[in-house]
Amino acid sequence: MDFATQIHPILAARCVPCHSGDKPPAGLAFTSRATAVKGGASGPAIAPGDSAHSLMILKVTKQKGAVMPPVGAPLSSEQIALLKQWIDEGAVWPDSPSAAASAWQAPIAPRQPPLPPGSQANPIDRFVAAYFAERKLEMPQPVSDAMFARRVYFDVWGLPPTAAQLESFLNDKSPQKRARLVDALLSDRTMYAQNWISWWNDLLRNDTGVTYQGERKSITPWLLAALEQNTPYDQMVSALVNPVKSTDPDGFLIGVNWRGTVNASQTPYMQAAQNTAQVFLGINLKCASCHDSFVNRYKLRESYGMAALFSPESRLELVRCDVKQGKFVTPHLLYPDLGSVPEDASLVDRHAAAARFFTDPRNGRVPRTIVNRYWQKLFGRGLVEPVDDMDSRPWNADLLDWLASDFTAHGNDLKYLLRTILTSQAYQSPAVVSKEQADKNFVFAGPLVRRLSAEEFADSVGLITGEWRLRPEGNNAVRCRDWELKSSPLSLALGRPIRDQVFTTRDNHATTFQALELVNGQTLEKAIHRGTLRMLGELPPAPVNAFDSGPVTHGAVSFDINIAGAKRLWILTQDAGSYDPTRTIAGWSDVELVGPKGTRKLAELETLSKFDRQAITADKHHYGESMVVPLNSKLVYPLEELGFTRMRGRVVVDDRSRPSDIAGSVRFFVFTAEPDPERLVKIDGQPPVPAAPPVKDPDQAIHRLYLTLLSREPTDNELRVSREFFASQSATAHKPEPAAMEDFLWSMLMHPDFQYLY
Amino acid sequence: MNPEEKSIVHEITSGLSRRHFLRAGGAAALAALAGSEARLVAGTTKFEPRADSVILLWMAGGMAQTETYDPKRYTPFQPGLESKAVLSTFPSIDTAVDNIKISQGLERIASVMDRGTLIRSHRVGDLGFILHSRHQFHWHTGYPPPQSVAAPHMGAVVSRTLGARNPDIPAFIDIGQNLEIGAESDSVKAFHTAGFLGSEHSPFLISDPADAVSRTRPSENIGRTRFVRRYDEYKKLVAASPVARYGSDFQRESLLRSFENAHRLLNSPAAKAFDLSLEPRKSYDVYNTGRFGLGCLLARRLVEAGARFVEVTTEYIPFRYWDTHENGHTRTVQMKKDVDAPIAQLILDLEQRGLLDRTLIVIASEFGRDMMTEGKPGQEVKQQVQQPTVMTEMKHYGMHRHYTEASCVLLFGGGSPKGKLYGKTADERPVTIVENPVIIDDLHATIYAALGIAPDTFYEVEKRPFYVTKDGKGKVVEALRA
Repeated sequence: MDFATQIHPILAARCVPCHSGDKPPAGLAFTSRATAVKGGASGPAIAPGDSAHSLMILKVTKQKGAVMPPVGAPLSSEQIALLKQWIDEGAVWPDSPSAAASAWQAPIAPRQPPLPPGSQANPIDRFVAAYFAERKLEMPQPVSDAMFARRVYFDVWGLPPTAAQLESFLNDKSPQKRARLVDALLSDRTMYAQNWISWWNDLLRNDTGVTYQGERKSITPWLLAALEQNTPYDQMVSALVNPVKSTDPDGFLIGVNWRGTVNASQTPYMQAAQNTAQVFLGINLKCASCHDSFVNRYKLRESYGMAALFSPESRLELVRCDVKQGKFVTPHLLYPDLGSVPEDASLVDRHAAAARFFTDPRNGRVPRTIVNRYWQKLFGRGLVEPVDDMDSRPWNADLLDWLASDFTAHGNDLKYLLRTILTSQAYQSPAVVSKEQADKNFVFAGPLVRRLSAEEFADSVGLITGEWRLRPEGNNAVRCRDWELKSSPLSLALGRPIRDQVFTTRDNHATTFQALELVNGQTLEKAIHRGTLRMLGELPPAPVNAFDSGPVTHGAVSFDINIAGAKRLWILTQDAGSYDPTRTIAGWSDVELVGPKGTRKLAELETLSKFDRQAITADKHHYGESMVVPLNSKLVYPLEELGFTRMRGRVVVDDRSRPSDIAGSVRFFVFTAEPDPERLVKIDGQPPVPAAPPVKDPDQAIHRLYLTLLSREPTDNELRVSREFFASQSATAHKPEPAAMEDFLWSMLMHPDFQYLY
Repeated sequence: MNPEEKSIVHEITSGLSRRHFLRAGGAAALAALAGSEARLVAGTTKFEPRADSVILLWMAGGMAQTETYDPKRYTPFQPGLESKAVLSTFPSIDTAVDNIKISQGLERIASVMDRGTLIRSHRVGDLGFILHSRHQFHWHTGYPPPQSVAAPHMGAVVSRTLGARNPDIPAFIDIGQNLEIGAESDSVKAFHTAGFLGSEHSPFLISDPADAVSRTRPSENIGRTRFVRRYDEYKKLVAASPVARYGSDFQRESLLRSFENAHRLLNSPAAKAFDLSLEPRKSYDVYNTGRFGLGCLLARRLVEAGARFVEVTTEYIPFRYWDTHENGHTRTVQMKKDVDAPIAQLILDLEQRGLLDRTLIVIASEFGRDMMTEGKPGQEVKQQVQQPTVMTEMKHYGMHRHYTEASCVLLFGGGSPKGKLYGKTADERPVTIVENPVIIDDLHATIYAALGIAPDTFYEVEKRPFYVTKDGKGKVVEALRA
């Protein structure tokens, strides 16, 4: 008999919607074993061990009084049989709050347990050493320098160390070098923020650019700045729940909204209640947003009490399972001992009250929750699991409480917390396989083997090849790390979530679907192709455009450009974010080529490219017959010996593209050399990591890839097998063939020793 | 092993217990071990499966019911015609079933109506505002967004619950929808996902059926010879790692197995099903009305080869295809040309191959359309699509507004009744349902039941049940089962 899968669904669907809450019908609540056994006006509902005399069975079988449930179909005979069996077997109700409470009651107040005695410098190791000693286990030896470097570079910067960085660390003879490396990595604000922002985006469900025609607002500028400045965690929490300044992250409370009505449990303020409870307290209020929860101790009115901190009106009507209850709830803190909020408080005051509640020094749950999340991120498993159920028992409560209070005592400094963990011997222990960690009787043995995240994978490709993806900045572009772009088929397959919900763990299990993307997906294929050319120094520099209109949403833009010496013209008409590119009408008007031999209309020159001739009206001005092309197409003109020196005319976006259901936005380019479709605009600034010089021969490529991706040299055997990739080449002293290089790079990226953090 | 290799092995393996770190060779026997899969719990009622596969033919954009399968009084166009006087812009035609008439332009489907069931009383959710992608999300997952967990597409649920029929054919294939469609891209992506069920059950997306084969064979830039050689070399490289020579752990194994599966699929003879160039010319031509028609052909070939759940869409792009905001009549003429022959041929082909009995074909749309009502009668939504009181031009003629009260669904095969009409709408505006409404939850329950999945089957996620029909409350409509 399994309560969770066999009994709970029946109760949840058919009994609890009515029999719960403050004043359940007949005084009977089916929210816990205790209340069901205690029963209501007609006595106990359940007599454990005796289904024949249990009122519940008599009711559902219509043997006594009105049949239950009173609405809908009667319970099926299978369901009744299950209930009987369950009662006869003692009505075991394992998740009942009373059972959980007796076993473990998670404290709210902070607690600083004494540090166990010992010689370890890092306090974490004192606790872990005591833990191992108690179990008569040996403290594991730390991993090698190279393995350590690989781990901390990924954990702080989200990238592996370059060959040079690794070498410099290995050659450092200082006994303090590990702590110094951690400090050095943490002190690079940009690299640290560029990595950790992905984790925070998951946690705060922030996804720049993802919108659903409803309210949603990115908090990226605030979040990036907070990470770069290492804003204390309590200040971050305060800004998130009480955004007062214009730069504050109000998007967090706004939530994810689609145009139209929503279920009562998903209103923006219920989302705010659920998210603040989950993110900051490790409490799941999702059940308790519809009805009193069956899986934890939280009640419907508690969810509404929290929601009332964030709702426009401070009085909220309770809605249980889509049914209005006629009862109202006013702001109420989940831990009422930490204060109360006046019924008539303004929204401003309620937000401020929420900030006080989540940052109250007496609220030890908030630091425990974040400390546990960091532990899980770095060890693969939390001190408390699941990390979103902080009411569960930690495997080492003293360690959790000590870390949390130490974090608070150090100004809620997230980098300090990272440093504490990363410099511990516990973190530096050899990795263990996660399967055994899923066992019920968890025993800590070291960090788990972890899979690289989607962003770590993509950024490693950028690092090793020197070729990064681009994001627009102003009218130009900059090379960027993967988090800055919307998800790609590759990053989705590698586990980047659609951040409509809070994500505190990533699903990055190896699946066939994911492998298809890695083996045959276009995103990675293109990255490897371009990256290889870049590594070999064979990626031709992208030609600079001779004309770039920038995005044009309406009207005309005139140009008059120098094309002297051009043998050929490439004229591009690109979509720049139209609502409906297919109905956007854009073209080239009155374009002339000017030279010593005279002036010619472009439309009259010979070309194999196709275009329409259409009259264009832009900003109500008539432009006559123009060359109209679909967006994302190009016109190519051979100029050969015609000797033109200038090109002039205007680009136009027709007024028919202006309605909001089309909202045309077009970018026009002229090139005098074949454009690189990936690099139409000018690229500014430096790549996230400076590129290494081109590789000269296969052996150099092999060593660089092993050192960078695996943080070790190939063995003799591996070197021999690696050379076989390049075997078709007659001599090893030559530049690798691009195809061989691509295949080798692909193979190294697919290598389990790369894809897992050991 | 030399000392250098030993130290590398030691690095990676010293933390792994013997129990989980298998000697090389033994590891191959390990079954796929996915860590945190949502647990499946079967529903309370047993349903004998009547279908092995589902083909969902999605009429994206809101197919006008009175212009297709629920025709009302026909009023030909003439300038000066009052909009409110018009219920249908097409005359009715007879079908193979005596009491069923449908709209002109669907003659081929009319001729096979005796193989299926027509539901005229499908009522979708009232979401308070018309947003196509939100209604589509609701229809495809059973839950209107936002939701507190990542809701899976119905195809992902079927994939996860029943698994693949043929290991070389992805269980859930989605044909015809481009995901980059401008402003609603993110909303459309939001339900083309397996959500919490994990990436293994994601839709295998084919935006252009004519090019489907490119998704199931090595990229043209690489070519099959090089592709095969690359994988051989890769395996040697991995085998050369001292770690692999020592043994393997289940994570390495599952990664390597995933690559093995992907390579097997990309080199499998079953991948021929994706290659429409192998279809006899005559048959190809019948289907070839465009991307949707070829999608139907591909769906047939895939089901023959063992696909579990195939969706073919006419494609949702705002204001295109079935999303008729103006020129409704003219556009509908074209849409019928696109869908009529291929749908009918799909039914006939499956029947001729003896597969129709075990394949459930569902034709549906996110809502219906009307000329006057926007949203739901008595509860009209804001921001109505423009429609003049009196029509002066042909472009005014058609069902331009979105109508959530009633739409049509057709079921063919897979244990659905033959030649049956179910549900009824009023003959005058507002053409509300007057008989046997079928809501999304109940329609889904009926589809799931045909596959042998009880509607209160659920997945446990975050310790909560997530039911395959909303809150487990979908009721199987017995009248829609043969």
